[in-house]
Amino acid sequence: MLDLLTYDFIQRSLLAAALVGALCSTIGVFVVLRGLAFMGAGTAHAAFAGVALGYLMNWPPLLMAIFFGLATVWITGWVEEKGRMKLDVSIGILYTATMALAILFISLMKTYNAEVYGYLFGNVLAVTNEELRTIAGLSIVVIGAIVLFSKELYFIAFDQEMAEASGVPARRIFFLLLTLVALTVVLSLKTVGAILVFAMILIPASTAYQLTHSLLTLTWYSVLIGITSSVGGVLISSYWDIPSGPAIVLLATLLFFIAVLLSPKRQRRALAGN
Amino acid sequence: MSTPIIHFDHATFGFPGVIALEDISLEVQSGEFVGVIGPNGSGKTTLCRAVLGLITPLKGHLRIFDCACDELHCHHRAKIGYLPQKGVVDRNFPVTVLETVTMGRYGALGLFTRPSGKDRTIALEALAHVEMEEHRDSALGHLSGGQQQRVFIARALAQQPKVLLLDEPTTGLDMTTQHNVVELVRSLHKELGLTVLLITHDINMIRSHVDRLALLKTRLYAVGPPADVLKPEILSQVYGKNLVTTERDNIIVQDYHHHHH
Repeated sequence: MLDLLTYDFIQRSLLAAALVGALCSTIGVFVVLRGLAFMGAGTAHAAFAGVALGYLMNWPPLLMAIFFGLATVWITGWVEEKGRMKLDVSIGILYTATMALAILFISLMKTYNAEVYGYLFGNVLAVTNEELRTIAGLSIVVIGAIVLFSKELYFIAFDQEMAEASGVPARRIFFLLLTLVALTVVLSLKTVGAILVFAMILIPASTAYQLTHSLLTLTWYSVLIGITSSVGGVLISSYWDIPSGPAIVLLATLLFFIAVLLSPKRQRRALAGN
Repeated sequence: MSTPIIHFDHATFGFPGVIALEDISLEVQSGEFVGVIGPNGSGKTTLCRAVLGLITPLKGHLRIFDCACDELHCHHRAKIGYLPQKGVVDRNFPVTVLETVTMGRYGALGLFTRPSGKDRTIALEALAHVEMEEHRDSALGHLSGGQQQRVFIARALAQQPKVLLLDEPTTGLDMTTQHNVVELVRSLHKELGLTVLLITHDINMIRSHVDRLALLKTRLYAVGPPADVLKPEILSQVYGKNLVTTERDNIIVQDYHHHHH
């Protein structure tokens, strides 16, 4: 297995996986705590519609993905704030509508385009140097923003109304969070794909959630689990020659179930039940 | 008399066509303990949001700390320690008691500033005021309802507020705990000289603690010392037929008993 590590493309994909794993699992903490899980899933599909439109029109696919992703999170955020509609309804509508757009755009393409499907299922082993640089650059921006605004992000995740009432600019922080979610989703499209990116946001944070009662510890556990499962997934996928996206997500899922079994919270509930 | 700390001047709140509070005039002086009572849907929570500067009047004026509320900046909000109506705390939400109380410092700290040792000291002092220091490292979700309420009061105190604004602080607690929470609020009012605005539907719980009562149902029906406000002829304007006064002078509002059992 060690000789695999001497290949350039393996080193590149391990680095990309570690970055995406760290990024998704960090933002995931706030997505899970703020109850935005479904929004992450919706954003991934909207971003994929952007990619499809990009290939159809010969526009830069990643830029289009960012545009579609941001539009989705901002619209749903605005709808939630106004209380006009239940959040799961508005996301459900945007989610399916953007997926319909993606299918429409793909069907309008005259020829079969394998690259589009690369964004749907992800292929971290095919990450180029240029893509790695983009991922690294944007990862620094997103994680930097999270570190800079961590105390406000924690507060709105816990209770947005309380945060606003005590003088935190909660609305702006909420939209910052939505923006960071959209950027993270777009960044991860190439590595884990539109269908599975959401798992990388949701699973590490949910796994960490089983294990601790402290916000800070939760974040560190989540990042550790995120990096472990993405790097481990890439190694498994190249060693056994299976697709990288499923390998990463299934490894993360395995860790999740182990955490559920070992969870002190679960044991506490079991005791309380007796 | 000095400038009131909260001053509603013929203020109306709501959306055009939906009036939640109409023509409210109320002055709260620094160091006063004022209770706001009224039935469900009487605009009590809207009153809270107004005092917090989250909404502006459609008509009239509201000044807090002698500042019009559409000018209210975040640092003004930090001077109001707010206890929201008790939501259900997710028992598994990963936050410790001290982390929860420290959040009270965030508004005053502003963006880009991390809590320092001084903020930790303030948070620990706030926990001491509510007698919860020994629980500082406990998970918030593992505490009882009354203990959680104490922690949220400590969170408000950590803001080092001038005003304590409490929205239905006793809802969902058992009788003994309700008493303890109101006693705690009263002692904080006395010891720290806080101005307290307590909003509740439970008249009997607070009548002997407050300086003044305000009776609210969209409009203010009466404001004054409890003895002046709690008269059957005044209360019945708001509560109508649901009002029963027993021999021991306890006021029973029937629809609430109906809701609670």
